[in-house]
Formats: sequence, C-alpha cells, structure tokens
Amino acid sequence: MEAKLEKSPDVAKLTAFHLTGERSGDTLSEISGKNLLPALYAEYRDLSHLRYDYPLVLVEDSDTGNFITPLSVIIDNLLRETVPQGIDGEFLRKKVLNLENCIKQMVADGRDGPFSELWTQAETTLLEAEDAETQDELESYLEKISRTSKVLKVKGRVVDCDRKTPRRSIQHVWNEQQQVTRKNLRKRLDALILRVAGVLRADFEKSAEARSAGNIKGQVGTTFEDTFDFEAMSNLLTETLPEQSMSESRRKRLQSVLEDLKAQQFVGVENLDTAPDKPADPYTYVFETCSEAMDAFMDRLPGLVSVIKAIAIAELELENRYSEERHDPFFRKFDKTSLVPEDLSLFPSYLVLNNIEDDDAAEKARIIEALSSGLPIKVLEQADNILVDMMGGAGQAAPGGRGGQIANMALGINSAYVVQSSASSLYQMAPSISNGMQYAGPALFSIYSGAGGQSAGLPPYLVAAAARESRAFPSFTFDPSAGPDWADRFSILANPQIDADWPAHDISYEDSEHKTIREKISFTVLDFMATDPRFAGHLASVPVEEWDDTMVPAAACLSTTPMEIMDVAPYVMMVDEADVLQRVMVDQRLVRTARQCRDTWHALQELGGINNSHARRLLQKEQALWEEQKKQELDDLRSKAKPAAAPKAAPAPAADAAPAPAADAGPEAAPAEEAVAESVVEEAPPSDDPYIETTRCTTCNECTNLNDRMFAYNEDMQAYVADADAGTFAEMVMASENCQVSIIHPGKPRNPDENNLEILIERAAPFQ
Amino acid sequence: MPTPTTENFLKHGEDHYTLDDFRSSAPRWCDGCGNNAILTAMQKLCRDEALPPENTVFVSGIGCSSRFPHYMNTYGFHGLHGRALPIAEGIKMSRPELNVFVNTGDGDCCSIGTAHWIHAIRYNMDMTVILHDNHVYGLTKMQASPTSPQGLKSNTTPRGTYLQPLNPLTVTLGIANASFVAQAADWIPDNLYDIVSAAYRHKGFSFVRVMQRCPEFVPVMFDPYITDPERILLLNHEQGIPYDPVLGKTYKNQEEHDPSNIDRAREIASLEDKIPVGILFQDKQAARYENIRDTNKPYSPAMIKEALDSEFDKFTVMPAD
Ligand SMILES: Cc1ncc(C[n+]2csc(CCOP(=O)(O)OP(=O)(O)O)c2C)c(N)n1
Ligand code: SF4
Ligand code: SF4
Repeated sequence: MEAKLEKSPDVAKLTAFHLTGERSGDTLSEISGKNLLPALYAEYRDLSHLRYDYPLVLVEDSDTGNFITPLSVIIDNLLRETVPQGIDGEFLRKKVLNLENCIKQMVADGRDGPFSELWTQAETTLLEAEDAETQDELESYLEKISRTSKVLKVKGRVVDCDRKTPRRSIQHVWNEQQQVTRKNLRKRLDALILRVAGVLRADFEKSAEARSAGNIKGQVGTTFEDTFDFEAMSNLLTETLPEQSMSESRRKRLQSVLEDLKAQQFVGVENLDTAPDKPADPYTYVFETCSEAMDAFMDRLPGLVSVIKAIAIAELELENRYSEERHDPFFRKFDKTSLVPEDLSLFPSYLVLNNIEDDDAAEKARIIEALSSGLPIKVLEQADNILVDMMGGAGQAAPGGRGGQIANMALGINSAYVVQSSASSLYQMAPSISNGMQYAGPALFSIYSGAGGQSAGLPPYLVAAAARESRAFPSFTFDPSAGPDWADRFSILANPQIDADWPAHDISYEDSEHKTIREKISFTVLDFMATDPRFAGHLASVPVEEWDDTMVPAAACLSTTPMEIMDVAPYVMMVDEADVLQRVMVDQRLVRTARQCRDTWHALQELGGINNSHARRLLQKEQALWEEQKKQELDDLRSKAKPAAAPKAAPAPAADAAPAPAADAGPEAAPAEEAVAESVVEEAPPSDDPYIETTRCTTCNECTNLNDRMFAYNEDMQAYVADADAGTFAEMVMASENCQVSIIHPGKPRNPDENNLEILIERAAPFQ
Repeated sequence: MPTPTTENFLKHGEDHYTLDDFRSSAPRWCDGCGNNAILTAMQKLCRDEALPPENTVFVSGIGCSSRFPHYMNTYGFHGLHGRALPIAEGIKMSRPELNVFVNTGDGDCCSIGTAHWIHAIRYNMDMTVILHDNHVYGLTKMQASPTSPQGLKSNTTPRGTYLQPLNPLTVTLGIANASFVAQAADWIPDNLYDIVSAAYRHKGFSFVRVMQRCPEFVPVMFDPYITDPERILLLNHEQGIPYDPVLGKTYKNQEEHDPSNIDRAREIASLEDKIPVGILFQDKQAARYENIRDTNKPYSPAMIKEALDSEFDKFTVMPAD
C-alpha cells in the first residue's frame, strides 16, 4: 500500500463537490469501475481462504436446540473429538481442514445438500488426491470416525450465504420447533381421546346392553360357542349390575368432546386407533403473505375454539373436577374471546415468508395488524436491498430500508417479538430466532440478505456484515416475555462496539517510504454506501498526491453539526484492486442520510440503555442535588466547628457528665429488658391446669383410648386436654405415664375428695 | 400438564381438604404404635398439598406398617411381602400423573424386598417411600429384622442376634442414582411432617427412613433417644429443612448440612450414638426412569390387546380338534 501527503489540494473544489456533488477539474475522479472496497475489508476480498460463519448447517433434530451451526464449528468439534492435540494430530488436522475447504468450495459452486452427502463426496476427493504412503492412514481415520464420531452424525443441509438463506433458515428453525409442537399436541389429543373413550367404555360395561348374551358372545368369540351358555352368563352378570352409572348429561358431554377431539384438523393423525375413520387432511401453516395467514387463521378459528374447549372439558373431566354448576355456564359462552395465547401456543404457529420489497401498502398494513393481533403468526420480512430505500425519492428515508422501518414500527407494538439481523449474523442471532418462534404471540424476523446484487463484486456475506457493522442494519432483539421493562426486553448487544457511534478498528499500511502507518478508522454507513455503484455519483476519489489535512474522515465529520462542516470535505478510506489506499470524498446528500442512520442508531442505543437521555438527565439532577447537599453539610460543619474549638480547656460540659448514673444503671436495665423479651418466648409457667404439648403429640391413641372425653384430637390429629373434669386425676396421671413422649402434664387434682391423692400427686410430679 | 385454560379452572376451583377427607377406618395398630404418627403426618401432607384422593395411591407390602393403605382414604394397594416397590413402579409407569406413596417395613423392605429396594433406588422413579423401621417384625409377633440391633432377643433369636444391623441410610446412599435420602423419628411430629413434605416435593425416588416405635414388642428400643434429646441430631439447611427455633429449644444438637454434600451425608448416616433427622442427601438432577422410558405415546386399547394376545399366545394350548 502507498500513501503520501504532499501537496495541498484545491480546497474549494473539494468543498464544492461536497456541497453540490459536482466534480470539476482532475483532482476528483469517478470511482465507478475501480472496484473499490472499504479499507477495513481489504483482507476479505477473497473469502475462500477464511474460516467464518458460513457455510451454515441447518441442523435437524438437534438435542441442544442449536438449529443453525457454522460448518467451521462442527469441524472444530470433530477435531476436538477425534484428533489428538499438538504435533501428533498435525497430519489429520490438516486433512480435516482440507475436507472442510472442499465442502466450502462445493457449496460456493452452488452445490448445497445434506451434510453427510457433501462430507462423503469431500472424502472421496480428498482420498483420490492423497499420496500413496499416507492414503491408508487417512482412510482408516475416516472409516473409524464414520462409525464412532458423534459429531459426524449431525443431520442437516449445508447452505451458503445467498438470497435464499434468510428464508431457508427461518423456515428451518420454525419446522424444527413445529415438529415438537405437533408431536406434543398429537400426544395430548391421543391421550385425551383414549382416556375419554375409556371412561365412556367403562360406563357402557355397566349397562345391561354390555352384559347381554350377544355382547358377551362377541367378546369371548365363537370358539367355545357350544360349551358356553352365554345366556346364563348374561343373567348372572345382569343381576349384579351396579346401581351407579353415568348421568345422561355427562355422557353427552363426553361424547361430544370425543367427537370434537377426533374431528380436529390442526395436526395430522398418526397410526393410533384414536383417529376418526377418515382423517381429514391436516392444515398447512406456511404462507407467502400476512394477509393469507390471517385469513387462514380466521377461517379455522371456529374449529380452534371447539377443540380447545374440548381439551379443557376433557382435562377437567379426567381430573374429576368438572362441575356442571360451575363449568357449564363458562363453556356455554366459550368463544374466540376466551382463548389465551398460552392455549394457542399448544397449536402450530403460522409462518409467513415474505420479502419486504414485494409488499404494497395494504400488505404492510396487514403485517402491522398481524403483529398487533396477539396471534401466533411468525413473519419473516426479508430485505435484499436496503440502500436504495435509504436514499428514497428525496433522499429522505429511514435507514435500514423498509425492512428496518417495519422492525422499528413493530417495536412500538410492544407485544410482538422482534428480531432484526443481517444474514451474516444468523448464527449469532439463532437463539433469539428460536425464542421468537417459541414466544406465545406474534414475532417478526427482519433479515437483510446482503444479496440484492447491488454491491458490485462483494459476496452477500460481506455486504450483510457491512450493513450490520455500519449501523445501516443493526441487530437487535425485543422479547416481550423477558420482563416488564425495556431493560429486560430489548437488547442491541449483538452489535459491535455498542457504546460508539461507529465501530472503530486499527488499520496499518505502508506509505511510499515503506514506513508502517497505524491508524484507527471508523466504519460508518458512508463506507458501506461507497461499495454500491448506484451512489458513485455522490462519491469521488482523490489521488494520493492531492491528500491534505483539510480533508476530514467521514466519522469525524458526522460527529459535528451540519453547519460546522460547511467548508470541510469528508472522505472514506477505500482500497483498489491493487490494495492501494484511496480517499473517497462524499457529497452532502450521502452525509445527510448517514446522519439519519446515526440518529436511528442513537435511538436504538437509548432503548438499549446506552447514553439514555432520561437517565443522563436524572443523573445530572441527582448529581447537582448531591453536590448541593454535600456543600450544605460542609458549611454546617464549618459553622459548628468554630464555636466548639473555643472552650478547649474548659471542664467537661454538664451534658457529658449527666449520663454517668445512667451508665451505671445500664447493665441492670439491660438484663431486665432481655428478661421481658425472653419471657415472651418462654412457654407459660407450669400451671395448675393439666395440658398437653400438642405439637409434639404423635397421635398414638394411648390417651384418647384411655378417656376420649378428657383427651381429644385437634384438626391436625394431635391431642389436647378437651375436658379436664371429664375423668379422674388418676386417669390423668395414668395418661401422663403412658404417653411415650411424656408430653401430658397432669397439673393439680381437680377433686380434693378423690382417693389416693397423695400417691397420685407423687406419681404426677415427674410430668409437671 | 393441563392446558392453561384448564389450569386456571383447577386453580380457581381448587379443592380444599380436611384431614377427614383422607381418613378411613380406625387404625388397628396397638396403642402407642409409632405408625399412628406417620399416618397423621401423611394425612396432613395430603391435606396441605391438596392431593386429590382419587389421584393418590398408597402401596405397601406385608407387615403392621403395610396396613397403612387401609387407613388412607385414597387408592391403595396392599401387595405381597417385599413387593411394594415393583407394584408402585408399575403404577407410576402407566399412570405417571398419580401421586405414588409406598409404605414398607424394615422386614418388608430390607429383608425379603431388598433386591427391589436396591433397583428402585437406581430407577429413581417419582414416588415417596416411607420405611417404617421398628427394628423388628411386628405383624408376625417379634422376629429379628435386618435392622435389629445386635443382641436383640426375639422369637427367632432367643440368644440375641449375632450380626451387626444393616443401615438402610448408608445402603441407599451407596446406590448409583440415589436422589433423596432422609431420616425422621415418629416422636418428633413437626420434623416428621417437614421431612415427608420435602420428600413428596422432590421429583424422584424419595426414601425416608422413619424410626418407628413398637411399644408392643420392643417398648424401650428408642427410649434413650426419646428421653435424651441430645441424642437426636437435627439437620438443617436453607436447601433442606430450615432451622426451626421451636424445635431448637428441645433439640439443641443441630448441624447445618448441605444436602448436596454426599460425603458428609454418608458420615452422618453412619453415626452410631445419635439419630440424625433431616434431609441427608438430595440430587434434583438425577435421571428418572419414567422419563427415560417415556415413549411419548399413549397406549391405545388395540395396542394393549395386541401385546396381551402375543403374551397369552406363548402359553395357550389349543384344544385338539
Ligand atoms: C412371602 C412371605 N413370607 C413371609 C411372610 C410372613 N411375614 C408377614 S409380615 C412379616 C415381617 C414384617 O416385618 P416388617 O416389614 O418389619 O413389618 P412390621 O410388621 O414390623 O411393621 C413376615 C415375615 C409373608 N407374609 N409372606
Ligand atoms: S399419649 Fe401422648 S402422644 Fe399419644 S396421643 Fe396422647 S398425647 Fe399424643
Ligand atoms: S406390633 Fe408393634 S408395630 Fe405392630 S401395631 Fe403393634 S406396636 Fe405397632
């Protein structure tokens, strides 16, 4: 790389370009055709040598819940599992990485397919190219891991980052989770059908019809027809018919519940014999537009109401909790307004796979309607082209394009789950996507593919990554179920350097004297826009000889007010195909859009708790208050300190002497207080009345059997003295002696004329 | 798990029970028998946890203690000697939603039923098991049991037992996958109640050995511990049973013991001069057999019929033509 700062440029020409977009003279040249790349991306022109998040594997039947995993992560796991660390594993490690590269190449050539298939093919390619002397070692390793490796058992398609990726990934995560939802619902329905049918059958078995000779014959079969008297058997069984059978209203209720459960079309029927004779085809749940999804939901709503109602009644019935008095009125009125999101989440959700650029105004309105509906509708709004929207007709549009707009609007709904992500961050955002799918209400996945084809020569992955990095399409998650406030619900943590306006990175290059220059440069939205030839008219490159300190980096310019930069010329750093650094000037219109983009980012930062203006203001207020208070305290102290210092040698003031007698009294007073406190905790002193330490009673029946009027159990089945006069003192003493845990305290005799009192009092003494 | 709508109803229409709802016929145990205290604790537990009687089952083997299910107004299964656990496992496997309790004596569990006991610990199915340990066979009128102290004279050991007793706590703690081990004394009812409550709430095989008095045949067996509370070691911990200041007045000998510490649990279980009471060990993560083997599929009548037919076919002898 070369860079030189020699002559002053024609400042007027530069600022004129900035203000008007007009290029004059030969200082400023067009950038189109030069295939420039942001300087920070110089190393990434060719991705094939890099290990990064792509290709992705869309993992099926994952037991960890990771449905989207980079191929590189799988390969790393495989190495950890099967190749020794250090020098011993050197050869195999290299080979496995070659295999990974081979799969990557296949995918880059458009060959996506199941992981196992690509792996096998890569193995063949690798083995064919292997030298004869190492071929055996490699072959036996591959053969061994094909049998033993857990990592290699992973199932799923390998996909590259392209236009189809957002759609595929979202549909994949949805599919995987829906499979579980469907299975659970099927299981729930099957179990209810079986058990309700069981209850009805048990009732039928009690009927005369069930015990008729014909029915018994049907059950026993005809093998012993001649030797078995079915009539006699029937008579015998009919005589013992139970008196109790099900009420007619309950039977009808159970029958109708059974019919509703069997008739549902929300999940398909498996091979159990619980299904209706001719199962209706189950519904499908994937749609192209929100309008279609909402319409389908509404059409199916009556069926949904009746099956949820049937489930609830069946569950109450089977728990033995159905009370006609209490539940009939409720279920009579049960309708669509009775459904709660948690009930709905037992059923498959509706998936809308949409491209935001295809939406007209009416569809956009339906999207917002769907997201506000509280219904389980999961919407992918894919954006392929965010830059053109950003410039809009008059250069006034929300950064992030229409995708970003919809996502920002959805945040305002407050009850929809919202995830925004570039395709480059799908792996990072996968947990949020999964949670959004599981969320009981609507969810929006706003995803930028980077594959609109406008950024000349750059692979979609890089374009998508640049969109996130430059804040043109920041990542965020809003999870309404995560807590009551924004701090819990909203996160922008998935973005780089979230505290900053723009992420900054170190860059080093050589100047014309081959001296290494290190610089920190920021990646702004202008750097991102500069990759798109459609904005070439707003950009102009300046040859290195013309560079001057009056040119300002775009980031610095964006951090000032528009008025302050009237006479400066902002630039972004780019490299050409020969890796030579260029300063590319940016005109005012682009800068204006960049400001909007930064303002949107600031708003997201505030929501995400960074530089929150309310919090800042509050802090300032509190700080001012605190300082004021401290000042006041200091002043008070100072004013007090002055008179106190004066009578230094004077005898101790009376106030100091006064506590002396009190101090003497102290030690006496304290125990007195303690004694009072303790007496509260202590049990009542032994009284003349008999009593039982009821909480220690072991319900052993000794005393109650001795005299059940004198001793009784409380509601916890522990004994107390119910009536001390209901028996003799002799009985009381005997009970005390018999009680194995010695908790009956006999007290004093009640009747002074009772016999042998003296002896009894002596026997009672140990139990008092 | 019921749907949210049902749950709402169940919550609002929650039944309130009294002790009477769980009482059936009057127990036919001897007066002063410690089983009465255990019965009260279990009835209180069912009442306080609002366990619907129709969703609750007590399973037992044979013995005085095994008469327990008769006195609970719930479902019950008075099984065969030593076989309470396999019956309870079968119930849990086919009706996992039921609350399953097991009452077994030291003869029933630690003698004839030992093999089932060991494997039930390993299976760790969700049930609460009470070992009524009176150190003797009560029902058959006093024979030595595996937990009888060395030297106990009984009908089968007129010169006193020769062997060291088996310690059900150390045995249980020695089995892989043990998940809840506790000990209680029938004569400390509040503590007994706390322990059985914790055992019930634990999801897994909760094993509670209760020192149970048999005044009929071994009337002074536990006297040293009843008369001297210093010989009781009360275990408390915020993860187990918290310190109880009321009990603390009588039982001053206390230890803060973390139930996740199995090494200390084994030491406590091996104490000889004291009876430790409280939760010795708890592992909430231990795998449960009913979950591992959950086929996720309800059995339809047709499937059951098919399975039964194929079993019967193995034994069927068809009449000659
Ligand atoms: C197969 C079989 N063997 C022996 C018996 C005889 N028997 C009945 S109860 C019992 C011992 C019970 O002791 P324990 O389990 O400690 O119960 P406790 O009566 O002490 O509560 C025995 C051996 C039996 N009923 N069945
Ligand atoms: S004798 Fe003692 S332990 Fe037994 S019931 Fe009466 S008070 Fe309770
Ligand atoms: S013999 Fe012992 S264990 Fe059996 S009922 Fe009587 S006191 Fe209880």
